[in-house]
Amino acid sequence: MYVKNISKKLVIGLLFGAVLLVGTSAIAEAQEKAVDNYKLMCVQCHGLAGTGKGINAPALAVQPRNHTSAKDMSTLSDDNVFKAIKEGGIAVGKSNQMPAFGALMSDAEVKDLVKHLRGMCKCKGPA
Amino acid sequence: MNRFLLICSMMIAVAFAGTAQAADGKAIASKQCASCHKLKGPAVKTIAEVLKRKAPDLFYAGSKFNAPWLEAYIQSPTTIRPGGTVYINNITLEGDTDVVKNVPKCASKLSAGDAKAVAGYLMTLKDKSMKSGVVKLGKFSKAKAKLLMYKKNACNACHTDPKKGGGISCPTFEGIGARLNPDWMYSFIKDPKHWDPKVWMAKDDLDDTSIQLIVNYLAKQK
Repeated sequence: MYVKNISKKLVIGLLFGAVLLVGTSAIAEAQEKAVDNYKLMCVQCHGLAGTGKGINAPALAVQPRNHTSAKDMSTLSDDNVFKAIKEGGIAVGKSNQMPAFGALMSDAEVKDLVKHLRGMCKCKGPA
Repeated sequence: MNRFLLICSMMIAVAFAGTAQAADGKAIASKQCASCHKLKGPAVKTIAEVLKRKAPDLFYAGSKFNAPWLEAYIQSPTTIRPGGTVYINNITLEGDTDVVKNVPKCASKLSAGDAKAVAGYLMTLKDKSMKSGVVKLGKFSKAKAKLLMYKKNACNACHTDPKKGGGISCPTFEGIGARLNPDWMYSFIKDPKHWDPKVWMAKDDLDDTSIQLIVNYLAKQK
């Protein structure tokens, strides 16, 4: 009887702990909306309108990409854009002035951001 | 015996004077600084909260700043972040180009005495997890540092170098050596998210030697 009670308490305790852990990790990994990540990370160079005319743009040797240009953006695959955001411009053979944001955003957030960019250019990558 | 008592009394008096200064500093900071600066951690963890930030967090000021600079700054603040604390809050679209407008300035104009007390208090606000004595300041190659910072890692895409120019969404490098504790610079470059979970400074994979070189270069910008 005593052992049964202990086991019951142990199971409840473990379940409670598991729920707590899942809850904590959900809070820690709370995903930001792509539009907000764009605002904080991208606008500084790509600008409010996404045309590459952000406040840092005059200091850059290479003009930041115009995210609203279907002509430019349709030449880039989703994987290429994902890699550029996560690992930086160098990783896709572009400017080192595009930093790697992989440490600041989760893969899911970067994926969402790629979708957001597709919405801005109203275009798809090459098939 | 009498001499022993006298020394003890003096030591107690000095200790009390220190505590009183810190207490005054806390009271002044709570009244003058806390409406814009966060004096108590933890850091905010969402972008929505970052957008409400009016001024840089000060709850780890004692780890971040050099005391003499802090004391002077709160008597006569200058612009450190050309785009403001959170640049996105201070930009507007003019034609097809973003421009910085109406960056709020720090209104602090404390007297020398109050500034000493407030700086004394702020310097007690430390992040105990930050290691001290990590950075070894000494001789370094300025050319190698510039190559690493501006050719390889493009730090000036967002930060302005007083001689080279640069971006304005992040704090200027002008006077950074007087402003910041080298160990804090090291820690921030190594892991910006530790200090600000929603920071917009990208984290580069830099080894110890590279960060030491960068911090040595920045520490010279006085």
